[in-house]
Amino acid sequence: MTRFMIRRFLSLIPTVFLIITFAFIIVRSAPGGPFTSEKGRPPEIVENLKKHYDLDKPIFTQYLLYMGKIMKGNLGPSTRFKDFTVNEVIGTALPVSMLLGILALSLAVLSGVAAGIISALRQNSWVDYLAMSFAVVGISVPLFVIGPVLKLFLALKWKLLPTSGWFGGRYSWVVIIMPVLTLALPYLASIARLTRASVLEVLRADYIRTARSKGLSETVVILKHVLKGALLPVISFLGPAFAGIITGTVVVEQIFTIPGMGRPYIQAAINRDYGVILGDVIVFSLILVLMNFLVDIFYGFLDPRISYK
Amino acid sequence: MTEKKQPKRDSLTNEFNQTMKPVSLWTDAWRRLRKNKMAFAGLIIIGVFGLLSFTAPILPIHSYETQVTEHQNLRPSFRPAGQLMIETRTSYFKQVMEAEGRTELNDEEKAEISSMEQSVQTNPIHKQMYLLGTDSLGRDMLSRVLYGGRISIGIGLVGTFFSMLVGISLGSIAGYVGGRLDNLLMRFVDILYGLPYMLVVIIMMALFGKNIINLFIAIALISWLTLCRVVRGQIISLKNAEFVEAARSMGASTPRIIFRHLTPNTLGVIVVFSTLMVPQFIMNESFLSFLGLGISAPMASWGSLVAEGASVMDLYPWQLLVPAISMTVFLFAMNFLGDGLRDALDPQSKNKL
Amino acid sequence: MAMTDEPILQVKNLRTYFNTDEGIVKAVDGVSFDLRKGETLGIVGESGSGKSVTNLSVINMIPSPPGRIAGGEILYHGKDLLKMPKSEIRQIRGNKISMIFQDPMTSLNPFLRISNQMIETIVLHQGLDKKAAKEKAIEMLKLAGIPSPEKRIDQYPHQFSGGMRQRVMIAMGLSCNPEILIADEPTSALDVTIQAQILDLMKDLTHRLGTAVILITHSLGVVAGTCDTICVMYAGRFVERGPTDLIFESPMHPYTQGLIKSVPRLDRKSTERLSSIRGQPPNVIDLPDCCPFYPRCDKAMDICKRKYPAWKTFDNGRTVGCWLYSEER
Repeated sequence: MTRFMIRRFLSLIPTVFLIITFAFIIVRSAPGGPFTSEKGRPPEIVENLKKHYDLDKPIFTQYLLYMGKIMKGNLGPSTRFKDFTVNEVIGTALPVSMLLGILALSLAVLSGVAAGIISALRQNSWVDYLAMSFAVVGISVPLFVIGPVLKLFLALKWKLLPTSGWFGGRYSWVVIIMPVLTLALPYLASIARLTRASVLEVLRADYIRTARSKGLSETVVILKHVLKGALLPVISFLGPAFAGIITGTVVVEQIFTIPGMGRPYIQAAINRDYGVILGDVIVFSLILVLMNFLVDIFYGFLDPRISYK
Repeated sequence: MTEKKQPKRDSLTNEFNQTMKPVSLWTDAWRRLRKNKMAFAGLIIIGVFGLLSFTAPILPIHSYETQVTEHQNLRPSFRPAGQLMIETRTSYFKQVMEAEGRTELNDEEKAEISSMEQSVQTNPIHKQMYLLGTDSLGRDMLSRVLYGGRISIGIGLVGTFFSMLVGISLGSIAGYVGGRLDNLLMRFVDILYGLPYMLVVIIMMALFGKNIINLFIAIALISWLTLCRVVRGQIISLKNAEFVEAARSMGASTPRIIFRHLTPNTLGVIVVFSTLMVPQFIMNESFLSFLGLGISAPMASWGSLVAEGASVMDLYPWQLLVPAISMTVFLFAMNFLGDGLRDALDPQSKNKL
Repeated sequence: MAMTDEPILQVKNLRTYFNTDEGIVKAVDGVSFDLRKGETLGIVGESGSGKSVTNLSVINMIPSPPGRIAGGEILYHGKDLLKMPKSEIRQIRGNKISMIFQDPMTSLNPFLRISNQMIETIVLHQGLDKKAAKEKAIEMLKLAGIPSPEKRIDQYPHQFSGGMRQRVMIAMGLSCNPEILIADEPTSALDVTIQAQILDLMKDLTHRLGTAVILITHSLGVVAGTCDTICVMYAGRFVERGPTDLIFESPMHPYTQGLIKSVPRLDRKSTERLSSIRGQPPNVIDLPDCCPFYPRCDKAMDICKRKYPAWKTFDNGRTVGCWLYSEER
């Protein structure tokens, strides 16, 4: 088991390395630079600026310099927010996005799995049809439709919740309800469907037949024998789900005006603020890679066929 | 004990007069699909949408880009625009009137109203109807939604088509050939899978410019991954099947085996996944348009329409609801159809995702 | 072979049907047999003849849509299993009547350790605590021929080979010392050499413990070596029943005769053609009232097409369902 974990961890390093390089290449191969859109700057000033940000050196040197800084955890200066380093820009925004993301993921997993199991056990009953119809809704309607529509009804028409904002302002915790709900909904739906399908499939397995033939009660059969196997696909799905949630936060933060990583990211992309773009991509990717690693380990815990060779 | 002569019988009827009809995969699937009411309804809805979008240029509707400034922000209605225009203006004036504590419209306001009424009598443009209302620039919502649908659905279809080409080819080759090639490809797929995909797309759209080609490239870049994996999986499980050995023993070459024998057997899976890819494509494109990184004005896609509507939804909710509902219904229908196809093509997966 | 004359299990006219889109499948359509203490009863038949469904019906484990037990009685020590409430039946399953299945690869839960899977049955039915149960389980594994059972019991199923897994299943099935062991094609998924070992193991253990066995198989070879009594099944019903030796010596029903003749023999000339029963087993949906075997029967008569044969019992414990042996023609 420990060998398994070490192996998995080691394979992370080249992946991270590749991602950073890949991001660097993409960002730098785009036409234009951070200073091309600002008009009326005398060329000498542009030259100086470039020198200051190391942009006059050959690209490979820039790459090495950058990698060097990364190793020390320094993501470099931001070309847009002249007084801030990228670390600072991200530092304030990241916890907000993380909180939003984790809450959404937890909601999606807990409710989704519960709904899926209940639907599977009551297959073809009205509970099942209702739940699965909701699930199709959740999958079909995009985030940026759900968000505004929820806002329209819950906040504007029925005045139940505030329209936007985050903690620290004049709102209490209720302000996170809509954003978290919006973000969680599509994944809740997918997880519910996946769980249901998986439970149904495991229920048809031979080893469940064996368990029943031994006289075990249905509750024991389900909790002990069915659950472990049935949850495996759901665990596998957590990786991509988290990736989707990261992406979703960008939209949700825009709709509900939340001070997370989303807005700065888009702005940086439009303003070609290399520092922030790269920094964002790296941070997101690292988080994702870490999540995937954790998911792998968890999966290994549950499925002895993988970790016990 | 005499030897009984066996009566001549048709190979489809046995001695007990029980008929066993041979049924091909597709006829069987079609029959099952028809029984599934939701999926069938989905199919019809998609047909209607498809037809409307395709024929949009020849339908008797307003142009999607003509702006009639006096007709801004009109509610959906069967009544002619002129009337609505006057009513809206009048009620606005009444609000101002109350706010200022007056009981009557002042002269300026009255003058404006009567000049509007004049205009309505003379200018035929005010007789137009906007069944689904207008947006902030006086453009007809109905035609914008239809044209937006054209773009969204078009992108969905074309994108899916290209993803299919790439995904199926690569998946088939990787699955069949196996070995280092397969390993390499799957590693590549895994890495791409692990990227926060939309984020990368956002960067690309922002950095490389907002035209349709880039949009396609960006989205298509990642969409072939799942199909590739799925096809590869199918091929791997099929390639050791006996009919493949038979083909090989008759001297079939590798490409022939891949494309003529294995791939058709994966058609079921391909059809299902492709049907489910179209809505994903549409969602991705809409996502980008919503963020302002996709389609640019005056063209519209459902995503950009939703974005425009969201910004004014407290005042003019129909501008959000019209595109939102259209898009949702379409995506719904496609998802139901995809589910139905999956159930129809693989009866044992009736209980599957 | 300690056999008394009191049957511990009496199956009377069992009928199990399945509702499908194409009609009602009468998988088991009137099956009756008795099982005595310590007896090994073999049920032989082709695929689709209804043998496995018979088994599952005994412990009332037919999946309920689409299947249902449409009629008959299953008397275990006089009590009808089909009318028992679920909670009572659960006390019998795994405990007094135990079942082992065909495919050892898929019949054990891959996510739980063997110890876990064996202990749960023992704790449930015999009231031992976990430690004592584990010792009992190790004891059973040893009897089943698993080397170093104390170590292997904590492993997972995928760490065992196919034959070993079947031994584990047998150990698990016999761990509560049941009166009846139902074995559904226990060796069909195994290599031939392992088959022999497993069959010997089963014979040995069940004799030692005095367990009665219902053995389902499609192989006459298996039946010949292990069973006291054989029932031959075709299209959902028994066609012949009797002591093994007598049936092999002089099979009465044409189907049984065909089956025995079709086994290739080493003592015949190699230039002889292999014999087989011509035709196909019928589709059991909506069969008309006739002998289901008649299209393939060389000795078929007119009445065979019109009425299902009456069941005739003989003094030596044999019964046959064939018009050839009935006085009515």
